Amino acid sequence: MARAILRRSVCGVIAGVVWMTLPAKAAQTAAAIPDFSGFWARTSLGFENPATGHGPLANLNHRANGASNLSLLAGDDKDPILKPQAAEVVRRLAEWGRRDEAFPQPSNQCLPYPPPYIASNNQEIQLIQLKDRVLILNMFDHQIRYVRLNAQHPAKLTPSWYGDSIGHYEAGALVIDTVGIKPGPFPMTDMMGTPFSKQLHVVERFALVDAATAKKFAERGEAENGVVAGLNGDGVEIDTEHQDKGLQLTVTVEDPGMLNGSWSGTVTYRRPLLDWAESVCAENPREYYAGRDTAIPHADKPDF
Amino acid sequence: MNRNDHVKTRFPIAGLIFTAMIAAVGGSAQAAPSIPDFSGLWARTTFGYDLAASGPGPLRNLARRSNGTSDAFKLVGDYHNPILKPGAAEVVRQHGEVSLASRSYPDLSNECRPLPPPYVLRIAQMQMLQEKDRVTILYIQDHQFRQVRLNTSHPAHVTPSWQGDSVGHYDGDTLVIDTIGIKTRPGSMIDMYGTPHSAALHVVERYRLIDGEAAKEAVERSEREYGRPTTEPVYVDFDYKGKGLQVRFTVHDEGTFTTPWSSAVTYRRSGSEWGEIACAENTSAYYPGATTTVPHADKPDF
Repeated sequence: MARAILRRSVCGVIAGVVWMTLPAKAAQTAAAIPDFSGFWARTSLGFENPATGHGPLANLNHRANGASNLSLLAGDDKDPILKPQAAEVVRRLAEWGRRDEAFPQPSNQCLPYPPPYIASNNQEIQLIQLKDRVLILNMFDHQIRYVRLNAQHPAKLTPSWYGDSIGHYEAGALVIDTVGIKPGPFPMTDMMGTPFSKQLHVVERFALVDAATAKKFAERGEAENGVVAGLNGDGVEIDTEHQDKGLQLTVTVEDPGMLNGSWSGTVTYRRPLLDWAESVCAENPREYYAGRDTAIPHADKPDF
Repeated sequence: MNRNDHVKTRFPIAGLIFTAMIAAVGGSAQAAPSIPDFSGLWARTTFGYDLAASGPGPLRNLARRSNGTSDAFKLVGDYHNPILKPGAAEVVRQHGEVSLASRSYPDLSNECRPLPPPYVLRIAQMQMLQEKDRVTILYIQDHQFRQVRLNTSHPAHVTPSWQGDSVGHYDGDTLVIDTIGIKTRPGSMIDMYGTPHSAALHVVERYRLIDGEAAKEAVERSEREYGRPTTEPVYVDFDYKGKGLQVRFTVHDEGTFTTPWSSAVTYRRSGSEWGEIACAENTSAYYPGATTTVPHADKPDF
């Protein structure tokens, strides 16, 4: 891990030197830095499969239309990318899904979502691009990630839920490198519960794509993972009439502690029709598996 | 999540001009001299609001420590404060009874709920991101943030939300934020004494940079009232001599208060890094020596 960080740090230093030697104004021109402002939404969850290379872990449970059944999560524990200890975790979690039970995960425990889980289990984002950092605002439970631009990972990292994220602009894309993600009580990189170790390293690449490409990928995501939002005035309806560009996130995940190689996937956002909704985890009583609200204990007589 | 609880407002996405945004948020290229630069980390050492020297003001804690400061572990809001209507006074009194019994009453903070204005001002560390047509205020506690649309009006129909609908504008050296549409729920409160609010709550905040010495005095005055917390990290850089950030606010709520009332909080420059504070993993009950007993299993489920 230390070596990996050192390697990335050296690269970061080189990139930083190159960056600093550029005329400041030229380096910050609008032409070099894509404009990601505004709200971005999608109606599905999970990752879209990449055109080539190893993709995210598949859900073995599908709906009649062929889409992943996100109410019955059973990750493919036979996927050769999983090391034995990771496969065993996925297998045990899948048993919960087969019993129609939700296994504990950051989203139902109201814990911060580490990357790349946060990309798979969220529907709207905003990117606030500042001179020296980018903030990624996530609709689910008002989560924020901070990305320091043109910086390097510190030599000694205190592991945190979101890890240490650094980024730079490269060929019209924002590239984010994250390490130092703490394996909390429910460490997982996807909704199937694929675990991660301290060696988790995530590279994210945000880029604008044309409207047709965004539509194609978004529809592929809906076909693969189902449509779970945008139907009931929930704030994530896609504005189908006013789409200029889409925003595509490509994630690449490596974790020598849990994976035999790296995998990648995309998440494609489009413009929503409305502002996003307030989404507060702590007040959500919904049991998505059972399609009902949790029976919350109540008192017939108020305490005061 | 209750996905119907959203504010149906239009954000003027098309109005964002990126190059102008970069200039506006950078803090270095303040083309408009009238717009103050609030960038950087700000911190405060107390949770309470400044008591009013005169006129209607916030509640004072009736429970005091031996040194005369407010007892942060016994929150007994002064339910005799004439700003309170009878129903609100009774709620405050009952909260005080719970606290006097060394128990925590449900509070938005310990229930991991978003804190509406003005209660959100209790959070010890914040930063403000100023863009051309909005201001985003980030708070360190439970990664909360608020978004304020600039130079626009509230929508005709506001769906109530925890943080309400906030619009703002610059008035000289001051950012004025107007918030309505703050939803009421059991346990809704606007201060740490559990003072309730109604759907009529209307909060006006005025953010302004003040001289460093004035900020120091304001913070010290607040500490004389509230004491410096002993169970929380202190983020303020006490050696910093530069400007402070003061928020004066006025609360209107005809459903709860007999009159509008005003107060202020003052931030100084933070000397700490911006850490992660996840409410859901906090097991502290905050009463001295108390930690919530979290159920545990001797054998893992998987």
